[in-house]
Amino acid sequence: MLIENILGAAETLFTLPTLALMVLGVAAGLITGAIPGFTITMAVVLTLPFTFGMSPIQGLATMLGVFVGGLSGGLMAGILTGIPGTPSSVATTFDGFPMARQGQPGLALGIGVWASFCGGIISAVLLMTLAPQLARVGLEFGPWDFFSLVMFALTITASLSGDNLVKGLIAGSLGLLVATVGSDEINGVARFSFGFDPLEQGFAFLPVLVGLFAFSQLLSDVQDRAKARRPLMPAGTEAVRVEHLRAIGTVLRQWANLIRSSLIGVFTGILPAAGGSISNILAYDQARKASKTPEQFGTGSPEGIVAPESANNATAGGALITMMALGIPGDIVTAIMLGALLIHDVVPSPTFISDQPKLAYGIFMAFFIANFIMVAIQALCLRAFVLVTRVPMYMLAAVILAYCGIGIFALNNIVFDMWTLFLFGMLGLAMKTLGFPLAPMILGVVLGHIAELNLNRALSTSDDLTLFLTRPWSLFFLILGAFSMFFPHYQKLRGQVHWTLVYPSAMALCLAVPLFMMGGAVRPIIAGVLAMFGVWMLWRHKQRGWTLQDEVRE
Amino acid sequence: MARSKRDILTAVFLLILTCVFYAATFTIKKTSFGTVGSEVWPRAILIGQGILCILYLAKALRGAYTEEEGQGGGLVGWFATYRNALVCFALYAVFLITLPYAGMLIGSILFVFLLLNFLGGWSAGRMAVHGAVAVFSMGAMWAVFTFGLRVILPEGEILRIW
Repeated sequence: MLIENILGAAETLFTLPTLALMVLGVAAGLITGAIPGFTITMAVVLTLPFTFGMSPIQGLATMLGVFVGGLSGGLMAGILTGIPGTPSSVATTFDGFPMARQGQPGLALGIGVWASFCGGIISAVLLMTLAPQLARVGLEFGPWDFFSLVMFALTITASLSGDNLVKGLIAGSLGLLVATVGSDEINGVARFSFGFDPLEQGFAFLPVLVGLFAFSQLLSDVQDRAKARRPLMPAGTEAVRVEHLRAIGTVLRQWANLIRSSLIGVFTGILPAAGGSISNILAYDQARKASKTPEQFGTGSPEGIVAPESANNATAGGALITMMALGIPGDIVTAIMLGALLIHDVVPSPTFISDQPKLAYGIFMAFFIANFIMVAIQALCLRAFVLVTRVPMYMLAAVILAYCGIGIFALNNIVFDMWTLFLFGMLGLAMKTLGFPLAPMILGVVLGHIAELNLNRALSTSDDLTLFLTRPWSLFFLILGAFSMFFPHYQKLRGQVHWTLVYPSAMALCLAVPLFMMGGAVRPIIAGVLAMFGVWMLWRHKQRGWTLQDEVRE
Repeated sequence: MARSKRDILTAVFLLILTCVFYAATFTIKKTSFGTVGSEVWPRAILIGQGILCILYLAKALRGAYTEEEGQGGGLVGWFATYRNALVCFALYAVFLITLPYAGMLIGSILFVFLLLNFLGGWSAGRMAVHGAVAVFSMGAMWAVFTFGLRVILPEGEILRIW
């Protein structure tokens, strides 16, 4: 069955136009990812209009190319200039830039590229093996469970995307509200049109997304007049040659670091909202803790390049696992891909992989192949990156702003979509200026329909609201959602106030309850382990007399 | 530390917006079919949003958010900070308003040309470069969408193509 699906997918994927589009996508991603200020999300968003006329597999393969290219492109700027191209490569600069300054930029780039490649391949293998299994678990979900999963995705996004949880949650609810404007999917009734005809159809998803993300990002990039007029990077990176063979040897010698960081990346990607920007720092931190020479971190240690680069590329696979198996995007990029699938009338859900194996396995394979393409064309893109960085930011911004308009018009051939782009561009910039994170709002817009549909189904089946608490999966996600709201405070105050001593134990004990309720053999065992862990943690703190970190130091 | 007036005003604005939308849920048509009314989900969101806005306002009033440096200067200071963004928005609005007359090709070239000059400067040399960038980039983009992707972009009244 697996071989059959892979062969079927290969038939659609291994065509000259599709592969050519993937090469273009990876190249575009590498260059865009390398330009500081341009995010991977923006690159994927800007690719979208070109994919409307393509088949679903071609469109998604192109976007996956951009995604993988963008994740790897960030390291070029980070290593050569010390300014990370994307938030996913922040930790790469800690050791990549010092190594480049020590006269080994080619080795630093090589380690980064091959670590990215290995991380991508490990996560591609996990994607192909885990996604169908997770989809099987997803088949157990009823509407109550899906609704609670969406709520969890929103709360964790709000809590992880900024310092202020309240602002994050408001952004999420604004996103949900935007999704309600227009015709109600279930009853077909117009909502919040305020007598304005175009609003009766609601806002198209992509103009909202491009406006909120790309438009507002470009405007903040040109806000500083002097900075906007300067070339993006100073010259002086032309002579770099990537040392592939030496880099491969260095990366493979650190197989434990590579596998650990890739697994951190995949796990972070599976969590809704936690993307490459978090995984690269987490992996770097863990690599330093596990290293025999932690003192060398920050001075040009190869371990410090392998960890973040393998983790950020592996995050992409993790984010795709959640999207493919449950229809819930793992991060903003996969949220956009979800939107792209919807444009092609493909709705990801737990039955997606079994219903559309050709497309699903095509996506798996496209992600796998994109990593090979990335390595192959990386050297070419290094030169293009050098050329692009000589252009001042304001020129790129002005051209891309106009392109956003043309691309958005091409979606439905209506000018109202361009006004939507304009409106949400203003809203996005205002929100950024006022300190509201955009990620929860975007996720709210994407998940609003799924939440409403499932709430409607749940309430139509039974008006008993306690089902949200008595169904194990629903309870599981609600508990996760509740604890995720306190997670930023826990991180900030860990060991400083007493409640943080109880937080992990309480979470483990609470999560054990729905797992016990699920029945079977494996889940109650996991629940038992979790419960024992919780009790052990409590016992340990009791033995220590509930002492805080500060008290221990004194 | 000074309380952030900006956050207080934002919280009040969001509360008003929530109230306006909540009131608008009463105008949503009730249907005889469907178990759950179309107004249920928006109301649930708005109730949650209202609570969050009250929390936000309370935090802002308590001084949880403080004014950042560089926010002073009144209206002139604000205009100076957001000058580029405001110019971009204004030009984009003009581009959209004039789209039925100028069309996508001429409109986008003019938009890019004017925006480049506003952001990059009006010297003769720069204007020549900006003109070339606008014509080539937008011309290429227009050609890709029109001939490559077969999208019929608005042609406008000035230049009829089809």
